[in-house]
Amino acid sequence: MTTANPTTVRVDSTRSFVKLAYLAPVIGFIVIAAFPYAAGPHYTILMFSAMGFAIALLGLNLLLGYTGLLSLGHAMFLAIGAYTAAYLTSAKIMTLELILLTSVAVAIVVALPIGLLCIRYVKIYFSMLTLAFSMLLYSFLFKFYLITGGDEGIRIKLPSPLLFDMSNLGTLAALTGPMYYYVFGMLIVLTFLMWRITASTFGLGLRAIRENEQKAQYLGVNVQRYRLIGFVIAAVYGALGGVIVGIPVGLADPSLAYWVQSGNLIFMLLLGGYTSFFGPILGSIVFIFFQDQLMSYTEYWRLTFGVLLAVIVIFFPNGLMGIIDPRRWWST
Amino acid sequence: MLEVAALAVEIQNSEILRNVGFKVAAGELVCLVGRNGAGKTTTLRTVMGYITPRSGTIRLADMDLIGKSTLERARLGIGYSPEASEVFGELTVAENIALPTWTRQTEKSPAERIDLAYRFFPNLRRYEARPGTHLSGGERKMLSIARTLALDADLLLLDEPFEGLSPSIIPGIRNSIHEIVRLGLTVLIAESELQHVPEYADRIYVMERGEIVFGGSLDEARRDTTVRQIIGETL
Repeated sequence: MTTANPTTVRVDSTRSFVKLAYLAPVIGFIVIAAFPYAAGPHYTILMFSAMGFAIALLGLNLLLGYTGLLSLGHAMFLAIGAYTAAYLTSAKIMTLELILLTSVAVAIVVALPIGLLCIRYVKIYFSMLTLAFSMLLYSFLFKFYLITGGDEGIRIKLPSPLLFDMSNLGTLAALTGPMYYYVFGMLIVLTFLMWRITASTFGLGLRAIRENEQKAQYLGVNVQRYRLIGFVIAAVYGALGGVIVGIPVGLADPSLAYWVQSGNLIFMLLLGGYTSFFGPILGSIVFIFFQDQLMSYTEYWRLTFGVLLAVIVIFFPNGLMGIIDPRRWWST
Repeated sequence: MLEVAALAVEIQNSEILRNVGFKVAAGELVCLVGRNGAGKTTTLRTVMGYITPRSGTIRLADMDLIGKSTLERARLGIGYSPEASEVFGELTVAENIALPTWTRQTEKSPAERIDLAYRFFPNLRRYEARPGTHLSGGERKMLSIARTLALDADLLLLDEPFEGLSPSIIPGIRNSIHEIVRLGLTVLIAESELQHVPEYADRIYVMERGEIVFGGSLDEARRDTTVRQIIGETL
């Protein structure tokens, strides 16, 4: 009888866990793809929204997880995306691709000057500046009733992608059918794109800046430019997410830019794990579904969320990905 | 290559450097020697652009560096290896070395520059996938200098490259620096112990209380009474 060498066993099991870690996102995407068939319309619509938040969070995590900048005002870009969709669909421009491209353009135009100012600061100053700009937008959306619809917001009519003919479909059928898969495709493409960005030399530069900007500078990294590009990319992802989040709700209202919404985005990141690439996607899905379930059980759901946030920060600083990512089991 | 003249630096109203001047010609190895607090690190940090001098000039190949940022100086070809090594702890050895190859474009390809870095510090090859936090002090020093080679710097500023290292590691790093000089690169070393100054140094400058008090060869320094008084115990 032979006895297994403990080192060999450990290496083999580590390898299988690593394989599992690579396989898990694939399984996750298959589950998302199967959702309209396996879950009812209510949960499919929830997943639709979660995918929108996931896109926005992928961008936000480029700032927090990779560059070390905590934006407390990222919800402003969600609002920019949703309001762009609202204005364009109100003007009978119903092509989703055009709406998405316009939201990207608006996000860039807004993010460039804000970014130019904010990225000169770090830590709490960056956070407070982004929060200030977000609240400025919120106040504008809230007060300028004639332009923005005030607290009632502006309706977002269901746009139609060029790829699918949805003329014969009702709203629910479209949202749980072709539109769902369109957004799913967007999520995959934007996830892949973000993975390429973070794995590129640009991503390496951002990680260097996160660790120490002085060190990065004397190795030739243009800290300000990198931060600005990171900020703009995050804004673009935020706006694209905002378009998607706004579609199932059918409304763009000022609460999208409110600080609570930015707080929710940070919560989702912490929940999923901002130290992991897939953390934002997991965090958005768990948050949306957990919130839905909790709201149906208790009116004190915010209290429960507060406790959950405290537990995550204290016991699971790497979020849910830190618990389920097998590589982290070994490191702890 | 590098010419510093009448450099004066004040930090929080304290005069740290006074009338500091020295030259480093292309292909030379020059050492700034002095006790802790003499102003060596301040001099290197000022050359690197972290500190704005009150007065004086810093010229690199006839180009005035005053007013240029650290980033600009790095891109002009000044490689800096600080006293604390300052490798990126969360990046792997390979990533630490790869980083400067794309921040500064030179005639050499990134692959050539990475090969050059590993050629002088072959031990780092074994730790390519290891994060910076998992390296020993000596490995960090090697990595820190290797990054300046990957930057394809023309002038290397090495702050205390032998500080705190095991005596068994020092000869290896010293040999690597010798090879770097033989390659034709220009090196300025700040060193607190005269015994660590490589014998092949072209010239040394001794600093005391923010001033250059001696400039000459290593042998001349050993014979100089002022130098003996300042750092005599390490002669």
